[in-house]
Amino acid sequence: MSVVVADRCSKWYGQVLGISDVSWRLQGGIVGLLGPNGAGKSTLIKLLAGLLRPSRGTLTVFGENPFATADVRRRIGYAPEHERTWEELTALELVSVMADLAGARTPRSAAEAALAQVGMTSAMNRRVSGFSKGMRQRTKLATAIAHEPDLLLLDEPLTGVDPLARVEIIQGIRTLAAAGKTIVVSSHVLYEIEALTSEIVVIHRGQVLAEGNVYEIRKLIDRYPHRIRVECDRPRVLAAALAEAEHVARLELSRTGLMIETRDPDRCYDQLAEIALDREVVIASLASPDNNLGAVFEYLTSERRR
Amino acid sequence: MSPTRTIAAVALRRMLRGRALWVGAIISTLPIGFAALTSAGRDSGIAEPGDVFGFVQLMLAVLPALFVASSIGEDIEDRTITYLWSRPIPRWSVLVGKLIATVPVIWLLSIASWCLASLAGGGQPTLESCLALALGGAALSIIAATIATLAPRYGMALTVCYMLFFDLPLGVMPAAIRYLSITQHDRTIADLSGLAEDSASSAAIGVVVIAGVWALIGLWRIRRLEA
Repeated sequence: MSVVVADRCSKWYGQVLGISDVSWRLQGGIVGLLGPNGAGKSTLIKLLAGLLRPSRGTLTVFGENPFATADVRRRIGYAPEHERTWEELTALELVSVMADLAGARTPRSAAEAALAQVGMTSAMNRRVSGFSKGMRQRTKLATAIAHEPDLLLLDEPLTGVDPLARVEIIQGIRTLAAAGKTIVVSSHVLYEIEALTSEIVVIHRGQVLAEGNVYEIRKLIDRYPHRIRVECDRPRVLAAALAEAEHVARLELSRTGLMIETRDPDRCYDQLAEIALDREVVIASLASPDNNLGAVFEYLTSERRR
Repeated sequence: MSPTRTIAAVALRRMLRGRALWVGAIISTLPIGFAALTSAGRDSGIAEPGDVFGFVQLMLAVLPALFVASSIGEDIEDRTITYLWSRPIPRWSVLVGKLIATVPVIWLLSIASWCLASLAGGGQPTLESCLALALGGAALSIIAATIATLAPRYGMALTVCYMLFFDLPLGVMPAAIRYLSITQHDRTIADLSGLAEDSASSAAIGVVVIAGVWALIGLWRIRRLEA
């Protein structure tokens, strides 16, 4: 049986389009939802999590409608895109509550295990209000996995996290997939998705543009320079170290960070990690504006119309 | 634990660690000051119980907005509700859980405030008046919860407006429409309305019916809400 079946599924928010006429089947494994901001990725994930109702068409998870059937949500783990959570609680309390609500038999030990899995054991008794973005992302991931769901829905889990957390989160997601979980992960950055899976669904303007292997999409995207925004304590040191690199097309300094335009994002990410370690530059966050991806999607859309 | 109990426990924990409880506690001291000042200005040295009770009712207009409407409205507006709704729990358990956590706090603050204000005003709180505040506090909390599901962003402000500009004025109208007012029924139950034709039992039924209608609207709304 397919884990997810969407049949001509559409979602409108009044006059605003969420997704339109999406037909999609998911059998298992890790699937990346790729698309620029506002493409409809979060809408699709919320529909899968049972937070939204389709305006038209049907969508089932494990054969059930997740909005109407509470029981099927026991098998789903959802980590939302937004950062807000119950700031007054500690990470352990938050994850325990979520595990309890999801029906875990021993919520506290399930929460401890989930937090250990995402590398948050040392911070689990601290309040969420004091957490960095990376720690929040890891805590969200722990809330999603604590009750050992069969389907994991991760909405932009790598947005804004530091390089170390990025590596750990990617490793954590891979481990879950290896344990047989079905995982849907969304991102507007191809390189994030690529680090997790080669199976992608490309979404743009609420429609599924392409499904399948990542390599063709990558070729298209590589035609465009990739932009990486780095927030760090010493952007000048970082800029000086990167200035000589062959793959760097342009550098733009600001008081709190650096915008890099690169022709080889993989090398650039590796080099950033090296520089951060060698020169002790503290990187607070990494982000990738999706202008280049948007351009590729426009191209794909026009190809589709022809 | 059942989902309702879990949600109640976490709502209470958050409230105890937040600022709202302190603000509520400060607001609860106002009737005491009012009663003390009023009694000092009277020859008998005793504040009019109806006036002091009216002041406590004003406070009761604010507490459900502060605790219930803000708690539910913020969860919907900040989208933290997605954590709850993506779990296998009935949606009504969110409303009921939050009410179970907040209503006892509202009871504690309002009844303690009324008792202390009565003593400060030279009077004695009656059992009926305490029951009236308990019933009214629960009913107004249900109304606050429903308003928060209907307009999450403005839940707190609209709840205060409803209490101050609808429920309280309605209660003093010399017509049958006053029976739509929780405030008026509360005064009848407390035996402070001054209207001989109204009985405490019919007033209690009135409160239950009004709260029941609001509860149904709230439950209908929360079933349909999307995050």
